[in-house]
Amino acid sequence: MKNLYYDIDKCLGCKSCEIACAVAHSVSGELFKAIKEEILSLPRKKVLSSKGKNYPISCRHCKDPKCVDACMAAALIYDKEKGMVLHDETRCVGCWMCVMVCPYAAIRPNLKAKIPLRCDKCKDKDEPACVKACPTKAIIWQEEEIVSK
Amino acid sequence: MKQFIIIGNSAAGISCVEAIRTKDKASKIIVISDEDYLAYCRCLISYYLAGEVKEDKILLRQKDFYRENNIELFLNKRVIQIQPKKNRIILEDKTFLNYDALLIATGASPKFPDIAGIKKRGVFGFRTLKDVKEIEDLLPVTKTACVLGGGLIGLKAAYALHKRKIETKIIVKSKQVLSQMLDEPAAKIVQDKLSENGLEVIFGQDASEVIGNGDLKAIKLESGKVIGCSLVIVGKGIKPNIDLVKDSEIKINEGIIVNDFLRTTVPNIYAAGDCAESFDLTLGAHTVNALWPIAVEQGKIAGLNMAGENIKYDGSLGMNSLEFFGLPVVSLGIYKVKAQEAGYEELKTIDEKLKLYKKIILKNNFVVGAVLVGNIKNAGIFLRLIKERIDTSSFKERLLSENFGYPEIMDLVKEEKFYV
Repeated sequence: MKNLYYDIDKCLGCKSCEIACAVAHSVSGELFKAIKEEILSLPRKKVLSSKGKNYPISCRHCKDPKCVDACMAAALIYDKEKGMVLHDETRCVGCWMCVMVCPYAAIRPNLKAKIPLRCDKCKDKDEPACVKACPTKAIIWQEEEIVSK
Repeated sequence: MKQFIIIGNSAAGISCVEAIRTKDKASKIIVISDEDYLAYCRCLISYYLAGEVKEDKILLRQKDFYRENNIELFLNKRVIQIQPKKNRIILEDKTFLNYDALLIATGASPKFPDIAGIKKRGVFGFRTLKDVKEIEDLLPVTKTACVLGGGLIGLKAAYALHKRKIETKIIVKSKQVLSQMLDEPAAKIVQDKLSENGLEVIFGQDASEVIGNGDLKAIKLESGKVIGCSLVIVGKGIKPNIDLVKDSEIKINEGIIVNDFLRTTVPNIYAAGDCAESFDLTLGAHTVNALWPIAVEQGKIAGLNMAGENIKYDGSLGMNSLEFFGLPVVSLGIYKVKAQEAGYEELKTIDEKLKLYKKIILKNNFVVGAVLVGNIKNAGIFLRLIKERIDTSSFKERLLSENFGYPEIMDLVKEEKFYV
């Protein structure tokens, strides 16, 4: 199962990944159309800085996901095979319980759409948009086992 | 092969069942509920009443959940007594069932004020799917409704009625809404939002009488004022359902006392969810935290322990997230400190115009509570600072900053290798 990892020494904090993420999740999929969409597509990844270093933050799809336990609408499930927390938007009521309990603050409320946003690893594509967009290759898309060694 | 009995078929009960089944596929599991429905998302009943969630989306699990997990489900059955010495429970029809381990997840019931006429037709609690279905049946003939109580349940009920175009008045005893989870400045922002959207709140008043012959016609307030209405919803708090353990070896206070393993004072009997009184991390004492995420967490740990594990529960804390007319609000732990209480410190920012409010409460540099209105990002980080008891002295002044986030605490917590 592939996951997103980050080489912090390479991250410039340029936020290209944020823009690519928002565009990839917009209706049109194109930057100049996306910025005019009625409900603005928001990035599911945020780059934050601390002590001179930059850290892209997005859902880690925890194996013991607090958000799934907290979801009062049963809109979240943890799919073991995919290693992902899946979000059923048709069940979600926008109560923000998941936002409240995420230990990484990696779930963002889209208040206008009443939907919490999280990284879905660009599910239909072979490679997440942020990986493609990173100019310094600071975002690494690879199998879980290789990194944990 | 063992026999597990679970009394209660909601958040705690279901997560208990799922936890047991991760360890033990063979033993018999019996789930008993006094309701007539498969497990449903209780917190969604207000959305159901508002017409925003249909019945098929309110079920907590797929219909075949019980069959797939090999669970015997008794609906519409009430347990009247537990006999710990005989390891058995007695049902209403006097039949009994034996258990090896038992979970009490009986939940809680609405508290009704002790006033004349409170039992009249048209007065409802707001707790079950049955409640909302009966309320819904009355909506075609209801013009005005009164909601007693300005807590979360009262406001959610009022919001739903408002969505259904019922003129709704909320009657609140205290000077603010949500007095159990928000301080005054936060409540003021919520109140403004409610009134902008046409919901009327009457403060400093309690209902003193429900008027009508049989069916309700009006509510009389303490001031003597009478409000005509044909529907009343009571949201004046809840009480844990613990009658079935009264006069037994199981120790109770407001709820059933549980230890760090969710065990009651009888070792093979566990309690979880709204009926349980567990250790509260921020209060440093036992209390009932009747909240969905806590019920799920407790049910899960109780289930694992019933199946032979020995897992310690971190403890509970009061926390809630809500949303009214697009305004998000989160409250965590201690939300209000009495003036001059030693060791406490409040950090806050407010912008009433933009409806933004952020407050962190610290005690000796440890976060013990937070209130967030309008912008709730970082709520999970604050929750974590509370739960993991992280000393904030090195980054305290940045807690409220726009750029504060996970990287600031990364070195202080157990970090998996996502950053290389």
